[in-house]
Amino acid sequence: MKGILKVTDKNPEATIRNLCRQWLSEKSPSARPQAQRLAALLVPAVGRNGVFTRVLVSDPNRLAEVTPLLPVMSGNGAAIVAEIARGPATDTKVGLFLRPCELRAVVELVKLRQIVLDNVVLIGIDCPGTYKAAGFSTIVPYRHSSIQARDPDFNNNFVRNQKDYLTNEELRVACQLCEFPKPLVFDLAIGFLGMEVDQELWLEAATDKGKALLEGIELEAGEEPAKRRQALAELVEGRKARAEKQIRELDKVIMGPEKLVRYFANCLNCHNCMKVCPVCYCRECFFESEVFQRDLAEHVRLSRHKGLTRMPSETLLFHLTRMNHMMTSCVACGICEDSCPVAIGLTTLFKKVSRNAQAEFGYLAGRSLEEPLPLTTFREEEFRSLGEE
Amino acid sequence: MEGFEPKIVGFLCNWCTYAGADLAGTSRLQYPPNMRPIRVMCSGAVDSVYILRALLEGADGVFIGGCHPGDCHYVSGNYKARRRMVLFNSIMKSLGLDEGRVLLRWISAAEGRRFAETVTEMTESLRQKGPSPFKALWEV
Repeated sequence: MKGILKVTDKNPEATIRNLCRQWLSEKSPSARPQAQRLAALLVPAVGRNGVFTRVLVSDPNRLAEVTPLLPVMSGNGAAIVAEIARGPATDTKVGLFLRPCELRAVVELVKLRQIVLDNVVLIGIDCPGTYKAAGFSTIVPYRHSSIQARDPDFNNNFVRNQKDYLTNEELRVACQLCEFPKPLVFDLAIGFLGMEVDQELWLEAATDKGKALLEGIELEAGEEPAKRRQALAELVEGRKARAEKQIRELDKVIMGPEKLVRYFANCLNCHNCMKVCPVCYCRECFFESEVFQRDLAEHVRLSRHKGLTRMPSETLLFHLTRMNHMMTSCVACGICEDSCPVAIGLTTLFKKVSRNAQAEFGYLAGRSLEEPLPLTTFREEEFRSLGEE
Repeated sequence: MEGFEPKIVGFLCNWCTYAGADLAGTSRLQYPPNMRPIRVMCSGAVDSVYILRALLEGADGVFIGGCHPGDCHYVSGNYKARRRMVLFNSIMKSLGLDEGRVLLRWISAAEGRRFAETVTEMTESLRQKGPSPFKALWEV
């Protein structure tokens, strides 16, 4: 089920809020059965004091405070989903507004058995890019005329001014390289890219759960408009070209042992990149286990290998191992880089390494719930030369 | 590079390659003493962290030996090791690191000669390559 939703009062964000109201209300206009109603929604929100985050909203009267179109990423939402979507099916269903990269991470976590989708409805929303939450309220206002604080219509203007997406260099690095502005796996998707957003939004239900949300909502059914498809294609092409350019630049500073060591030189061993990574799912990381708690004698023994060891030790080992453990599920959301206190450029690096790694297996993280994880499956007739010669 | 003798850390599967190494010994086959063997239960149990740790600590090469495809004592451990090796090689290539210092090879319990030849071949190839660049890098 898909089609165009009329935007009311030239206000796309309010139109989406209105959808939320229908999903949260006790009795919707269509008086649909109780079971189809959502108990709560996970949506981006802005606090009056300038807090840019997500909220779980259950009271339809508080919907004025949520901002489904807020272009700010404070974390990869899949990590939140992994916390709340674990139990067996109940009557309590929660709708989750998620960006395409967050949905892709959710797909990986489902396959890693960290998320159970029974109690949640995935509401994907187009994303042409986001700002970092940190600094959004201070940096953006100085350089942009339209700001959250001064311009109460910032979010709507952001989705209206679609020409800027490819040139806006204040977007997060990951977003500037992102090839997935539209959700791939979802129950219901809300699209604004390539649409006349003051008039219409694009809605698409991919599952029964998604269709249930569209019941009682007036849609002009049809195929995805050509101008939307074209706008998406242009955005993706632009982003791909940018990614290629960035990777070429990156190669100048990472290739080979000497450069690679220098690239990670300032690592503090804080493991933030691992902690915020949505697909780094282990409850206890191997690198924080007792294996790495060594006594003095052991440290001295290690030091004798080279005559001196860096302390804290084995920072590069951590990053290289993390890549080996996670690269097939990396969605290149770049939240690792946002969390790095010494600003190591992890986004482009992980983009390159994960893309190459996934290509080896014809896999793309987050593309499908059915595609098995590359490291949990195998075929007898593959990579035959490995091990033989 | 005169007089350079590579150090190889070898992870040998208990059921095939370790027995193959044993056979090489009991058959009195001559091969270079450059490999330090570590017996593991399965090639599929060799996590990349072990390979990386050896390399970053200064090992010149890492060898992983497992049962031939179809012969795994645990049915599919070697197939999984093979996939992990593909991933490992891909990551090494993406970072400009020499994946040629790591070798995965299937050697059965009956293939003592293949084991001796593998160690000889690998030692020779590492002699040509020279010491691991990580040996001189304490900053890792």
